[in-house]
Amino acid sequence: MAEAKTSTSRNAIVAMQRISKSFGANRVLSNVSFEVMAGETHALLGENGAGKSTLMKILMGAYQTDEGRILFAGEDVTALSLRERIDRGIAMIFQELSVLPNRSVAENLFILREPLAYGLRVDARKMVRDAKALIERYAFSLDASARVGDLAFAQRQMVEILKAISRGAKLLVMDEPTSSLTIHEEETLFRTIGQLKQNGIGIVYISHRMADVLRLSDRISIIKDGRLVGPLDPGSTSIEQIAAMMSRPKGEASLPTAAAPAKRPPATPVGTPALEVRSLATSRKLSDVSFSIDPGEIVGLAGLVGSGRSTLGKALFGILPDVSGHIAVEGEPVRPSSVSRAITAGIALVPEDRRLEGLVGGRSIEENLSLPRLSDFSLAGPFGPMAKARITALFRQYRDDLNILCRGPLQKAQELSGGNQQKIVFAKWLAMKPKLLILDEPTSGVDVNAKRDMRELVRRTANDGVAVLLISSELEELLELSDRILVMAQGRITRSIGSAHDEAGLRALLQAEAARQSSARTQGVAA
Amino acid sequence: MKPSSMPMRLAAMDFFRDHITYLIFLAITLYFVLFAPHFASVSTASAVLRITAIVSVMAIGMTFVIICGEIDLSVGSVASFSGMIGALLLDQNVPTYVAALLVLGAGAAIGAVSGLLVTKLRIPSFLVTLGMLSIFSGLALTITGTRPVSIVDDDFSNLFWNGSFLGIQAPIWWTIVLTAAGYYLLHQMPYGRRVYATGGNAVAARFSGVRTDGVKIFAFVLCGMTASLAGLMLAARSTAGNPSLGSGLELDVIAAVIIGGTSLFGGYGSIVGSVVGAIFIGILGFGLLVLGLSTSIQEVVKGAIIIIAVSLNRR
Repeated sequence: MAEAKTSTSRNAIVAMQRISKSFGANRVLSNVSFEVMAGETHALLGENGAGKSTLMKILMGAYQTDEGRILFAGEDVTALSLRERIDRGIAMIFQELSVLPNRSVAENLFILREPLAYGLRVDARKMVRDAKALIERYAFSLDASARVGDLAFAQRQMVEILKAISRGAKLLVMDEPTSSLTIHEEETLFRTIGQLKQNGIGIVYISHRMADVLRLSDRISIIKDGRLVGPLDPGSTSIEQIAAMMSRPKGEASLPTAAAPAKRPPATPVGTPALEVRSLATSRKLSDVSFSIDPGEIVGLAGLVGSGRSTLGKALFGILPDVSGHIAVEGEPVRPSSVSRAITAGIALVPEDRRLEGLVGGRSIEENLSLPRLSDFSLAGPFGPMAKARITALFRQYRDDLNILCRGPLQKAQELSGGNQQKIVFAKWLAMKPKLLILDEPTSGVDVNAKRDMRELVRRTANDGVAVLLISSELEELLELSDRILVMAQGRITRSIGSAHDEAGLRALLQAEAARQSSARTQGVAA
Repeated sequence: MKPSSMPMRLAAMDFFRDHITYLIFLAITLYFVLFAPHFASVSTASAVLRITAIVSVMAIGMTFVIICGEIDLSVGSVASFSGMIGALLLDQNVPTYVAALLVLGAGAAIGAVSGLLVTKLRIPSFLVTLGMLSIFSGLALTITGTRPVSIVDDDFSNLFWNGSFLGIQAPIWWTIVLTAAGYYLLHQMPYGRRVYATGGNAVAARFSGVRTDGVKIFAFVLCGMTASLAGLMLAARSTAGNPSLGSGLELDVIAAVIIGGTSLFGGYGSIVGSVVGAIFIGILGFGLLVLGLSTSIQEVVKGAIIIIAVSLNRR
């Protein structure tokens, strides 16, 4: 582990020096120095709430620093506004991309500075030509006249990146750029990053995926409780070491690999399964899905993006309108396509997109927690007032139980960090005492330690006799938690495997199943 | 900077920002008290409350619709239409209370139709209720061929406008009763939580088992009922059903709700805020009148103050 102590190097694109920031009495950053060289990828890691985003907001100029200064290409930009810094060449690629889906790639690239022909007309042809030249220069694979909405996510991301660098960006901040990408698309992004580096562009790479970070970055810095650790050399460190450095000194919780809880003992044969599904289908995605889950069993659902995993979760939860087939919870049939029936039957879903589907961000934690079972909290029948004290008690119970970091029951859900938001969504459903808990990517976008907390929680829930259906793209997570893994491809369950496989084996299996199913489908069409 | 002073100051600023319209409201009232002759009197206060009762009542129903993230432009013409059918029912010697209940039922039905069109056919509420506005202002005119229908039923007039109970006049009673009922429904009952969730994030609400369509339809039903109640009050005030009584009221009602701090995009808002917003508009109109400004100039000043208040109250 090389702790490179660099005194402001001459070819640093940006050097943030001795930055400190407080909000009220709360000191968020203290004495942080961070720099990025030309052509360097500098990874920035840290738990949710450690101060990463505050540091980046100070870099962009959304916040002013209390102490210290920021040099950009050797000049002091500390006093400049967000706008002025973007003009100098600092750009941020957001998780939610800011491209216009209904316009072409060229139009997106040249928005607000369209080339003009006579009579203040937009010269559309020149715009496409210029766009093509730009795409060629950076060797991206993009079609200048394609509609952005028709592109795959990774290509939209390319448009966003190209837009920034064509405006003269010399430093790109990428916040979780792989979170919405498929495995193939990730490769595309990594190649793009390689191209950018060759062109001398500096990159701040923020991610929770350590394997990517180790592979991509030239240096790694970690923010922990508002202080910077590092920079480290990725060649001489490991995932375990980094995870240990990121975690807060809290009891024995410093080494995530050490305390992997044991799997439950081999399933004891029980009477009725917690969930039984026969010939479930939707009009477009799923066909003939049948399986069952015993109480206390964790069944993993693996498959590539687009294989129908999330659709299956949503179909069981009743949120899709066109579901046919047979679903039974503890032997009792549940009519499909009704969320309230599914909830009454004991089915709960922790959805994939926390902010869109999981939480009402602008409302309080307490309101979010009580939302699925409001009627249970009304005093004196259906027309009575809400039992606010009981809701607050529920909040306290789960705050302590799941270790939720927050200011209090009335704090708005959107103010919490990603991991804590996810715990709220989890708690909301645990409070319903479900019989079947469907988890769709429960640990995406949360930091390592929150991940470990979530996994322990899943295990704990199953040990209480709840059947769990775990959908995850992280194969290592599926292998660690599941008693059994179902493989999905093209809307069908094609295999059921024990968890004896290793990660590489499972990944190869998924690719093979997807290929097999799609070739079967093409033959079916041809016949 | 001392660490303890900061949160205190922040809290004070938060309070100031959240209640800025109330401060403007107080400032303007104070101005009228100082400069408008005889403004600070019980009779002025009760006159203002009587004038604003109709907008207040409608604003209470509208608050539910707007917090759901929708809008109802039809309330003014529904009020006119309700006044007309109320007058016609009384004209046919239908008993007072039966007539009133039938009219409220009609208001609920109109709201339900709007709500169903918005939720089941997924037509934006702006368009649905714009259509309903046109339909019911047209129907109100057509029923009697634009003639007003006079009301001779004293019970009716007393119940909705001229009567008083415990020294408080009927329209003020209606405001109080509906404010209390609306407050209870929105801020105390489970339904209110569902309204906030639906307007705050409809997708997450559905993923939590909230039947957002039902929540919205019921909000439109409430809005339709308060509009028809306002129509009955208008008819009682002029002792006649007149097809143009409620026209244009929707704008005052929406302004009152927004001034009261409810977000036009849904998810935030309160009942008391809407009623204060309605009274604000009433005081403004009345005060300008007492100051001797012409009605046309009044409209200009009113519009400007509404824009200023809302811009300061932005979220």
